[in-house]
Order: sequence, then C-alpha cells, then structure tokens
Amino acid sequence: MESLSNKIKRKPWLGWVMFFATMVVVFLLGLLASSIVERRAEATYAYKPKVELAEFEPRNQVWGEAYPREYDTYKQMADTSFRSFYNGSAMIDMLEVDPRLVVLWAGYGFSKDYNQSRGHIYAVKDIHETLRTGGPTGPGEGPMPSTCWTCKSPDVPRLMNEIGVAEFYKGKWADKGEEIVNPIGCADCHDPKTMDLRISRPALAEAFERQGKDINDATHQEMRSLVCAQCHVEYYFKGDGKYLTFPWDKGTSVEAMEEYYDEAKFKDWTHAISKAPMLKAQHPGYEIHQTGIHAQRGVSCADCHMPYKNEGGQKFTDHKIQSPLNNVANSCQVCHRESEDELKKNVYDRQAKVIEQRDQLEVNLVKAHIEAKVAWDKGATEEQMKDILQDIRHAQWRWDYAAASHGGSFHSPVEIMRVISSGMDKAQDARLKTARLLAALGFNEEIPYPDIATKAKAQEYVGLDMEKLTKEKEVFLNTLVPKWLEAAVERENSWDKN
Amino acid sequence: MRRFFKKLLPPPKWRLPVLVLFGIFSGLAAYILYISNALSYLSDDPKTCVNCHIMTPQYVTWQHSAHREKATCNDCHVPHDTIFNKYFFKAKDGMRHATIFTLRAEPQVIKMHDPGKEVVQGNCKRCHGGLNENVSAINGTLETSKHGEGRLCWDCHREVPHGRVNSRSAVPNARVPLPQSPVPDWLKKHVEKQAESK
Repeated sequence: MESLSNKIKRKPWLGWVMFFATMVVVFLLGLLASSIVERRAEATYAYKPKVELAEFEPRNQVWGEAYPREYDTYKQMADTSFRSFYNGSAMIDMLEVDPRLVVLWAGYGFSKDYNQSRGHIYAVKDIHETLRTGGPTGPGEGPMPSTCWTCKSPDVPRLMNEIGVAEFYKGKWADKGEEIVNPIGCADCHDPKTMDLRISRPALAEAFERQGKDINDATHQEMRSLVCAQCHVEYYFKGDGKYLTFPWDKGTSVEAMEEYYDEAKFKDWTHAISKAPMLKAQHPGYEIHQTGIHAQRGVSCADCHMPYKNEGGQKFTDHKIQSPLNNVANSCQVCHRESEDELKKNVYDRQAKVIEQRDQLEVNLVKAHIEAKVAWDKGATEEQMKDILQDIRHAQWRWDYAAASHGGSFHSPVEIMRVISSGMDKAQDARLKTARLLAALGFNEEIPYPDIATKAKAQEYVGLDMEKLTKEKEVFLNTLVPKWLEAAVERENSWDKN
Repeated sequence: MRRFFKKLLPPPKWRLPVLVLFGIFSGLAAYILYISNALSYLSDDPKTCVNCHIMTPQYVTWQHSAHREKATCNDCHVPHDTIFNKYFFKAKDGMRHATIFTLRAEPQVIKMHDPGKEVVQGNCKRCHGGLNENVSAINGTLETSKHGEGRLCWDCHREVPHGRVNSRSAVPNARVPLPQSPVPDWLKKHVEKQAESK
C-alpha cells in the first residue's frame, strides 16, 4: 500500500483535512473540559448567598437580612402558646408542679427557681430573670460563675475569641453581663461564610479529642445532631477556673459518667438536709438520644426538631426549634404513616409510664434525705454515714440523669427506665442502711414525710428566704440589666460605623 | 492480526509527531475524566448525583425523606434486573444528562421522562411489592397509566420522596456535598491576597 506521506504529496488537500480535523477535535475536547471546569466552579457559588458577615457576628437580625425565611421561623420561637401533655413552649414553674424537687435540690440554686424552659430566643432574658443567678449588684458579685453564659448566646464565641477560652470561664456571671445580650442563634451553629454547620463551643471538641476522636471528621448528618450536643449534654465546671468540661472520658452512660465524677471526687454541692455530696445532672439529652432507636436508625436532632418546610416554591429548614409534637405532620409523619393522634398517644404513653416510675423514685429520694438527717441528729458518725451518703449521691444522680434529659422518655424509653430502676435500687439501699443505722442508734420508728404539698411549703422546709431573693432580683433587673443592655447597644452601634 | 496492527502504525518518520499528538489526546481525555469525576459514576453513592449542582433539590429532598436511610438514588432510578441492564441504563441516561448539562439546556423544573418513570415504578414494586400484593394499584405500569387503566405509585404518593416543589431554585440554602472548587488551595489563597491588597 502507498504510504500516507506519499498520498499527501500527491494530494496536498488530504494533509489539510487531517490538520483541520485534528484541530476541531482538540478544540471541542478543550471546550468540553473548560465547560466542566466552569460548571464545577459554578457549584461552589450555587446555593451560597454572597453576603458579607463578620466572622463572629452575634446579632441574629443581621444574619436575618440575608436569610429571611430562616430568620422568620427563628423568630416564631417567641410563641409560647403550645402545651403538650407535660411540657411545651410555655414557661412552667416546675417547682410548683413538683415541690419534691425543692427538697431534692436543698442547698443548691435549683431549689430557688426552676422553670421548664422556653425557646432559644428567650435564652438571655430567662437567665437574667431566674432567681438562680441571684441579684448581683456589679462585677464580681452574685452566686454564679461566668461559665453559666457559655450556652446562652452567639456573643460567647465572639468573646472567647477576644479574651481566650479559659479567661472567658473565669470570674463571676455578672462580670460579662454587658458582653452577652443576643440570644442563642445563627452564629452558634453556622459558619458565616459558607453556612455550613460548625462547632462554636470548645467543650464538645475537647471531649471528642480526649476520647481520641476528631470532630472535624463528622458527617453532615452527624453535625445535624452535634451542633445541638454543644449544649444539650451533661457537663460540669472543672476546677477553680470553672472550665466547662464534658465528663465523657469513660463513656456517656449514666454509670460511666458517675465513675468519672467519683474518681475526680467532684461534687456540685453538699445537700442541705442529708449532707450528701451531690451531683447535679445538667441535661444529657444528646447522650440519651444516642441510645434510642431514632438515633440508631440515623435520625438526627434536626430531622424532627427542625424539619423541612415549604413556603411557596421554596423549601428550607424550619428554624422554629420546638417540640415535634407541635408539628407532627412534618416531623413524625415523614416516616410514620399513623395518624397524628395515634403518634401523639404513643409519645404520651411512654412519657406517662416513665414519669410514674420517676415520681416513685423522687418519693424514695426525699425519704432517704430526711432519714439521713434524722440519723445525723441521733448522733451518727461520718464513718457510719459515708456509705449511705454515697448511695444517695448515686441514686439522685440517676434520677436527675433521667429527669433532666429533655425528652429522654421519648428519645430512649428503655434506657431511661433502666436508669430509673437502678436509681430506685440505690435509693432503697440507702434507706435500708439508714434504717439499720437508726436501729443501732436506738431509734426504730417511722419517720414522717414532711408537708411539702406546695412550692412555698417546700421552700420554707429547706430554709429558703424567698422574699429576700425576689427583692434582690427585682433590684438587679431594674438597675444593672438596663445598664448592661445600654452598654451592649453602644458596642454594637460602634461596629456599624466601621 | 499482527499485520493489521502494523498497518495502523505510522511510517517511521511520522512516529514522533504521532506519538506526541496521541499523548495530547490521551492527556486531554484523562483530564476530562478527572475533572468530571467520571469514575464516581460507576458507584452508587448519592454524592455522585450532585456532581452537577442542578441536582441539589433532588438530593436535599431525598436527604430529608424517609428513603434516605434505605434507598440511594440508584436504588430507584436505575433498573436492577441484571447488572448489564443497570449499567446500560446508567450509561444511556448519563450520556443524555451530560449532553444536556453541557449544552446548558436543562429545564427549570427537572422531570422524569418515560424510560425513567418505568424504571422507578418497577423499583417501587421491587421493594414494596411484598407488602402490597393485595393492593390492586400495585399492578400499575407506565403503559396502564397512559391508557387510564392504572396509576403510578407517585400519582398518589406525591410527596415521596422529593415532594411536589422541585424547581432548581426551590432550595436556596441547601447544604449538600457539592464537589469542591477545581481551583487548588494555593491559588485560592493567592487570589484572596490579591483581592485584599486592592
């Protein structure tokens, strides 16, 4: 066959055809490549509004200008009209509902005042108003440490960035009153540049690190629970620096955290009646949720508490974070095909059964505290009381782990019942030992249950001067708080001038 | 056979330019495979489907649905009768999608075409058939629905799983695993620095 070069020598146009054909193919391939690159670059801009937000912008309304739908639903948290069977979005005076709590927390802030909480939007207002934070008259005053602010506001990461984390936790609650004014909101969970979920509080990341895990490896779906786990978890204030710490090093079960606290010889307070070294469970909502069937099936907090919402032709995450019982259609019924009434009944049934047992444990605990006091009064020695007090500590820790876990009886009813039963066992152990001790001390009679039918009676029984506390609070709210808010307005106005 | 290949080989004095040209072609083709994430299309990972960001509404609505835990995109949208059919359909559908995406001819509201409907209907039955064998509607096919003799599953189950609102602008702030920018980090930093110094 004739060689190609000979052919081209004979017919030069053949060479030109080959030249142009190659050129066209390479040109088209290049065009395709550049189109792919272009469209990939497009993806990095798609679904990301180009808004300039400062790295630590704490003002939710400023974010709201860029994300009006999310912000609108966020603001709906101001609505406090929803009541479920036990809780809801309204503030409920839990000490009035259940005066036994006053005795269980005798000697601790929670016996002064404890309300079922309202939505995130009230976080700062409600911590100002609760009697637990007392009536400080200025910096360095008041009963609470600065650490109490940690979960209340997107001003917290801003301030931590300015003064450092350890420095933030130091000092009194009142020291930072004028710095922290915006209620829990956008910057607590979102990156201002990409809107991706991000961890803004160090304690959770530190707890992960101590467990040998890197929180940066979390998937998007895990992050939809982990941003909540920055606050809705068990924690304590470690050491003199009151460094916010999660007791997760041995695990997150009730026993694992109890062991952690026992080893650290940590106590939140000494009980005013029984003198037991007590633990106050915060709200291990995340830990308990992880043991439940919904978590095991891959359901995140946001799936039910912030379901998808339609508005016209738009879909977005409902930022009215609330009980799914107020929005069964968009939460439960995405997966469950039963009627709304049926689903609600399922939840209430579980809650009712758990509360029935929890109430019984409370009664036992109140008796255990009071009987321990009688033993002290009859001249029991510390050596004789040691075991009993440890049992009381463990029993009430279990009760509190269950009671404070926000929705635990729904999130993980079996685990909650297990915790309550083991608490029941510990409480009865304490009472048996006390009865034996009392008998040895020559006392063998029934100890009367105190009259704690109302909050007022219970508070009088544990020796609280409510009138004084209320008055202090009133002065604080009328003098110091307005000053804080004024200073905050001035600070925030100065940002806008720059 | 060997003689056939020999015929394809260019004459010796042409070897060098042909080698270089062939290299350019292969390199360009490899670059296109790389930049378009081509290998990911062999997998069943739903992330693949947001290689093109216009699939974001579909991805994110699936991600908020009950199907998220059990069914990937491919479980519903490609046939599962034989592995050959699966990849044939995938290739056929993929070529169509790639062409339309490249030509920027995608519609504002993306809807399934007939072949896709048939596959999805089949896959509804594949998983839900056992539970629903006594439901007369389960016998519906694309054919019967066209002739008004039956319905497709999603004629009634309209929210499953993507919902009824599905335009390309329906999910303004969706968080989905879109492919990252093809621009390397050092270049991005350089560009940012340049922008700052201005």
